[in-house]
Amino acid sequence: MAKQKLNPLPSAAFHIFLSLAGEDLHGYAIMREVAARTGGRMRLGPRALYSSIQSLLEAKLIEERDSHQDSSLNHERRRYYRLTSAGRKVARSEAGRLADLLRVARAKKILRGEYV
Amino acid sequence: MSEKIYACLLRLYPANFRQAHGDDALQLFRDRLRDETGFLRRTRLWFDIFVDLAISLRHLYTTSQAALAEAFVPHCAGVPRFFVLQEEPLRPGALFPGCVLSLAALSLLSVLLNQADTLHSPTSHATASQFRPVNRQTSAATKPDVDSAEQVVLDDAAPGETATFARLFPTPTNFSAAHADTRSSAHQAYSNATADDSAAAIRVFTQTSSATTASTSVVGSALDPERQRVFDAVIANLKQHYFDPAVARQMADALVARQRRGDDAPATQGKDFAALLTTQMRDVSQDMHLEVVYNPKPSPQSSPEEFARMLAAPQADNCSLKKVQILAHNIGYLKLDAFLDPALCGSAATAAMASLNRTDALIFDLRDNRGGTAEMVSLISSYLFDHPEYMFDPRRVPTPQSWTSSPVPGSKLANKAVFILTSSTTISAAEQFTYDLKMLKRATIVGETTAGGAHAGVWHRIDDHYGMAIPQSRAVNPYSKSDWEATGVQPDIKVPAATALRTALRQAQSQLPTR
Repeated sequence: MAKQKLNPLPSAAFHIFLSLAGEDLHGYAIMREVAARTGGRMRLGPRALYSSIQSLLEAKLIEERDSHQDSSLNHERRRYYRLTSAGRKVARSEAGRLADLLRVARAKKILRGEYV
Repeated sequence: MSEKIYACLLRLYPANFRQAHGDDALQLFRDRLRDETGFLRRTRLWFDIFVDLAISLRHLYTTSQAALAEAFVPHCAGVPRFFVLQEEPLRPGALFPGCVLSLAALSLLSVLLNQADTLHSPTSHATASQFRPVNRQTSAATKPDVDSAEQVVLDDAAPGETATFARLFPTPTNFSAAHADTRSSAHQAYSNATADDSAAAIRVFTQTSSATTASTSVVGSALDPERQRVFDAVIANLKQHYFDPAVARQMADALVARQRRGDDAPATQGKDFAALLTTQMRDVSQDMHLEVVYNPKPSPQSSPEEFARMLAAPQADNCSLKKVQILAHNIGYLKLDAFLDPALCGSAATAAMASLNRTDALIFDLRDNRGGTAEMVSLISSYLFDHPEYMFDPRRVPTPQSWTSSPVPGSKLANKAVFILTSSTTISAAEQFTYDLKMLKRATIVGETTAGGAHAGVWHRIDDHYGMAIPQSRAVNPYSKSDWEATGVQPDIKVPAATALRTALRQAQSQLPTR
């Protein structure tokens, strides 16, 4: 079921991969990073965020790290997520697919050369 | 505050989402609330929340079906398990065939149930038995229940009519004593009924109420032992039998309090004492059907021989079926003076209806009908419908016998015009028959407004002189707030009782199909 939902990979899932590629993050941090990366155009709401996380967890593309208290945030308990090697592979293949598309778009003169 | 609102909004999400991520979502909201201050950013936050919610709900509910399909169900031996065969949610297009199939299944079920009823009828017997309504009564109802014989339904007890109850004292000769108190013409006529009043006669077989042995001792009572015993029995009967236990307790408390105050002292006569207790009970309950009755003439309990004689009385009187005739233009005419117990008179009623089966219209003459049992009302009404109908009786909560046993195999009367003749003395079960058929638009009522005796208490004998009537149940009227109590049933065609038959015949002839 989760595999069906991730094929093709939704953009929210890809953004989560990109966020987790650098470091392990909790839900709110993922949301903030996605918003910052897209200039505020993409703000993942609770449903979009946690449904995507749930699907990625079920597909074992990300995993939950042992929870720990965050000293910077009032010692609230948070769930941290990290990218699995399978997730990294899927992210890479998605990035490759997008790169191929971009190349085509550039060849068709839809995009100028400064991109990719 | 904002957090509380969001916690409420979270409840709109499906349970599986709340369970898995409810805390996370709340935490996310808290984080954003802390970080995003200022009017614009807060507005954006709430905008995000509502948009997310709106988009989410549909999506989450459709995928919750999938979650259900994937749910792990631990198997326990001997415990049935359910599997979700369809992983996709229901398509809107599937709803219509689903509805059609459900309706078809329901129709099939009702047809089968009807068939089952028909199969149980004694079809292998002669024509007369085929014509009998399918008997749904319990075995207890088909024979006189001696154990509960002391609970006698007073069919036509009207408010304030002390004399109404007096006829129920064990010997018909007591009617003369009752007669002296009669105040309404309707009940006068009823009390005038002589020893052949089998409707009442069946019911007068009473046993000493168990409540008479109960005692509610009152400290400091000024009453003599005899009256104290009656007082205790009244309280015990109220507590045991009144349909509203809370009100029964209130009444009992009030009676005891008043006795302690000495309010009962002036009531030295039995009749005054009974009237005083009646007033005190009604003051609390506002129930005019509660009554304590004193009969100056002692009425010892009926002996088994007397009871047997009373049981035989209805049959000797042809079960009050005074006339069964086929009049000109093939119009059936049945003069019925009482709706007697089907256990005794069922076969007589069945034979009467069988003899009228081929008529083109039917006139029930209830102008001299004094009431009787709701079971007989249902039995006779069964012939007039092609499907079971509820025969509302204000005295009883619905039982299986409250529905007609329609259709009666072989009956041709279900679609024939019906007329009911009434007079100002038509009362009780006869009014129930009239009222129900009028409300069901099954009969045209011709004659006078009926007497208006809808409610009744159940009779409890206390001793040879005292007894009391206690309403033990109330049924909800499906047609209106009030029934015919005190007002009577209004006829559709109002004419004097004496000319009602002529008018009904004229009406019936005008409605007959031309040949």
